[in-house]
Amino acid sequence: MSALARQKMALIVHPDLTMLSRYQALLTRAELSTVVARDIPTALMAITQHYFEVAIISSQLGESGDGWPLAGVFHLVFPKSFVSVIVPGADLLNLQTAINNGVQEIFEEDHAPDAVVSAILTATAIPATPSARNRSRLQ
Amino acid sequence: MPEKPTLLIVDDEANVLFTLKLVLEEDGYDITTASSCAEALKLIHNAHQFDAILTDLRMEQEDIGLELAEAAAKLHPRPVIVIFTGYGSVENARGALGIQVDYFALKPLDLDDLKNALHRLLVWRGRVRRGRA
Repeated sequence: MSALARQKMALIVHPDLTMLSRYQALLTRAELSTVVARDIPTALMAITQHYFEVAIISSQLGESGDGWPLAGVFHLVFPKSFVSVIVPGADLLNLQTAINNGVQEIFEEDHAPDAVVSAILTATAIPATPSARNRSRLQ
Repeated sequence: MPEKPTLLIVDDEANVLFTLKLVLEEDGYDITTASSCAEALKLIHNAHQFDAILTDLRMEQEDIGLELAEAAAKLHPRPVIVIFTGYGSVENARGALGIQVDYFALKPLDLDDLKNALHRLLVWRGRVRRGRA
């Protein structure tokens, strides 16, 4: 059986364009290929068209809490992938909702994106810096 | 005829254990009960395989159900793990999230929600055919 070499993919779903851009830059730096979405329909379309290893989803997209079912769907479709949700506060209700939707980790909104991405890369064992081979390719 | 899915229910409150056993047996599950974490750990380490383990959190000690959940998460095949508690807190919920518990319910339990979640998780894991257990 041959190993299929391909770049790992991340889905970022956030209503704020600035946050999308920051997460995208950080994940791209870690050599993940990213797809971004600001709403549920676009995110669902992306889920049907790619295999994602990582997802960062805001719990509030169009309205409060609507990011949770999207995270649940992501987990059902990609059970081995890492799904994290950005929440206003890590209270009991949000933690319970995270567990019941198959989410691996939640991060509070005031967490710096680089800390969020660093925690995700550690949890998924993806190296945070480009490999030597790819560094030389970039030069 | 397919075998009934097997559940281990763990709670130190006899009435909760009795009610859950009654309700879930009626749904077609094969139930084993334990009234402490220690008893449940003996069962899971004694070659008993369960499709799902449902445990209270506070029994012999505060949040000891997490210890059982952690042991269950290391089993192969990994059973569906459900935690229910009347003493939910950020700390124990965070512990459950870290273990990747499948379902976290607060007491008083909504039995319909619990039954639906259990069935959904078992079907998804391929332990139950579609339709009721």
